Amino acid sequence: MPDRFAFLRRPASLSARVTGLVGIAMMVVLLLFSWVSVGSLDRHFAEMDEEELGVIASSVIRALGEVQDGSDTQALRRAVRGHHGVYYYVADAGGKTLYAPKDGPDLASFARRTPPVPLADRQSMTIWEENGKSYRGGVIQVGGDTSLSGTYTIAVAMNIGGHLEFIRSFKRIQWWTICVVMCIAILVAWFAVRWGHIPIHRANEKIRAITSSKLYLRLDPKAVPVELEETIASFNDMLGRIEDGFEQLANFSADIAHELRTPVTNLTTQTEVALGQARSADEYREILYSNLEEFGRLNRMINDMLFLAQTENDPGNLNLESVVLEDAVRGLFEYFEALVEERGVKLELRGRTTPIRGDREMLRRALSNLISNAIRYTPSGETITVRFSQNDRDVIISVENPGEKIPPEELSRIFNRFYRVGHAAHRKGEGAGLGLAIVKSIVEAHGGSVSALSDEKLTKFYILLPLTES
Amino acid sequence: MKLLVVEDEHKTADYVRQGLMEAGFVVDLARDGPDGLHMATTEHYDLIVLDVMLPGMDGRKILQTIRAAGNQVPVLFLTARSSVDDRVQGLELGADDYLVKPFVFSELLARVRTLLRRGGSPIPHDRIQIADLELDLARRRATRAGQRINLTSKEFALLELLARRQGEVLPRSLIASQVWDMNFDSDTNVIDVAIRRLRAKIDDSFEPKLIQTVRGMGYTLDLPDA
Repeated sequence: MPDRFAFLRRPASLSARVTGLVGIAMMVVLLLFSWVSVGSLDRHFAEMDEEELGVIASSVIRALGEVQDGSDTQALRRAVRGHHGVYYYVADAGGKTLYAPKDGPDLASFARRTPPVPLADRQSMTIWEENGKSYRGGVIQVGGDTSLSGTYTIAVAMNIGGHLEFIRSFKRIQWWTICVVMCIAILVAWFAVRWGHIPIHRANEKIRAITSSKLYLRLDPKAVPVELEETIASFNDMLGRIEDGFEQLANFSADIAHELRTPVTNLTTQTEVALGQARSADEYREILYSNLEEFGRLNRMINDMLFLAQTENDPGNLNLESVVLEDAVRGLFEYFEALVEERGVKLELRGRTTPIRGDREMLRRALSNLISNAIRYTPSGETITVRFSQNDRDVIISVENPGEKIPPEELSRIFNRFYRVGHAAHRKGEGAGLGLAIVKSIVEAHGGSVSALSDEKLTKFYILLPLTES
Repeated sequence: MKLLVVEDEHKTADYVRQGLMEAGFVVDLARDGPDGLHMATTEHYDLIVLDVMLPGMDGRKILQTIRAAGNQVPVLFLTARSSVDDRVQGLELGADDYLVKPFVFSELLARVRTLLRRGGSPIPHDRIQIADLELDLARRRATRAGQRINLTSKEFALLELLARRQGEVLPRSLIASQVWDMNFDSDTNVIDVAIRRLRAKIDDSFEPKLIQTVRGMGYTLDLPDA
């Protein structure tokens, strides 16, 4: 069943991330700005209104003081002039209306339902709606002191419809502005990301140009923005590794072809010559035997190459068990006993190790290759030493043999496939130059490493194996 | 001894049959799965050499059918892949041994002989005599013409292997594996040297020479052809 939601698990595109983040940030900032500006506008109007209402209240109080008689409604009507949309209402202590405006809100009921305060201040102001209009107003109680003879209740109010309308239109304009700014910001961010990606696209085109025949090409880490430098450097490194692998593979194929061509050519020539004229049965038999030997050699070489390929392609395919290396080496010494006696050399085992986890057969094979290699190059009368040592992490096995010094430039290539010291031609009983390559691949499959040292007296091969196989 | 070879690859089948016939066996050949199964169930064989990959019906199925019918004939499995799973599966299905293709004929012959010996009544081997060579297997002693021969334990093991399989050509790889437990190719002539030293002890001062070299194949212990 096709995975319909795969796109959800894929990380969001970089443009989407940046654009989205910029959008959200802009939105938050603009909303905050809008909230603050509308709030302060609101406060500003409130202050203006209160000031005006305060002035009106003062005028009314002054008028009350002048008339000295609450019944003079004319004087109260004249108390406030030149103000528009402002209303006031005066009642005496008994609640009797002394003055009420002809139009505007029902201030008498407003004065009754609102608890009066001694002096007009901000907290005492309320906003209410009446007959579809909005008013701000307050109720105060004055009197009982020297300036006024009685106690009065005064309600003042003003129509604030204009202010509210102004705030509404301000909000509307602000919303539109926010929307437009948001769109522009997101568009700019999107373009910025696109533009920012141009170097990536360019690098991508260069990468695309690197085909398997042009693996020597590298990208210039200085030609890209500094953020990409590391990526390009890593890419170059990877390319280097691939190139090495490719080269090794190509060399290997060439080597295989060369190594196989020689014996096959020999066989062909020999067979052609043999068939060139009639021979005795014994002669034919001799030729077939000789061919058989050559086929045997070819077969061994192919098996070794197959083994190498398998070990290197599938290093996990190990039959892990606890291996006592001393026992393995002693068994190998037994195997080589006849050979070393004939060659007049000796084998010696020194040191001990704790058992390690590994593939017993493979490790025996690696050690066997090192020992047979040492036997081949040790002069008669000398001793080959297999030495074990270990630290808390690794086991170190060295196979040391006295013999001719191997030059450093050869030593570095000695573990390569088909490499033979001094390019010596086939000697009887000698392999195809894969022995040490096999050692290396086995040890590396075990997570270890190999190395070699050589001086005038001794040649040493080292195998380093981790104590705990990961 | 009558053998059945079930193998579809023509050249392999032909040389296996010829080789086995020349080694003294009677050989029937089946070139596909159904034929193989039919012959295996209708005729009596002492051993079946069975390829895994066959047209019509694969070797595993044939083996299963044969075993399900209660037929315990020894079966040597020929597997193309060297993967462990394949071998394990083959052995679990009741194969007695397996050989990974491609193989050399001497290896096949050695395995066939081993399987046939296993199936038959084993000779109570506590001594083996070939010409005037005598092996006392219990006491691990060898004498030639009544003369005690000093052998190391590995030399005795080598001689015992050759003697037990008198007349069979033993490839070097088989000798290395049986005597020294070396189950991989070693690019040395250890086996040749070991044989040379053994010869020096049991053959050099005696007649007839018993250890024969078969060029390109291996060694055999036998009386020389008259």
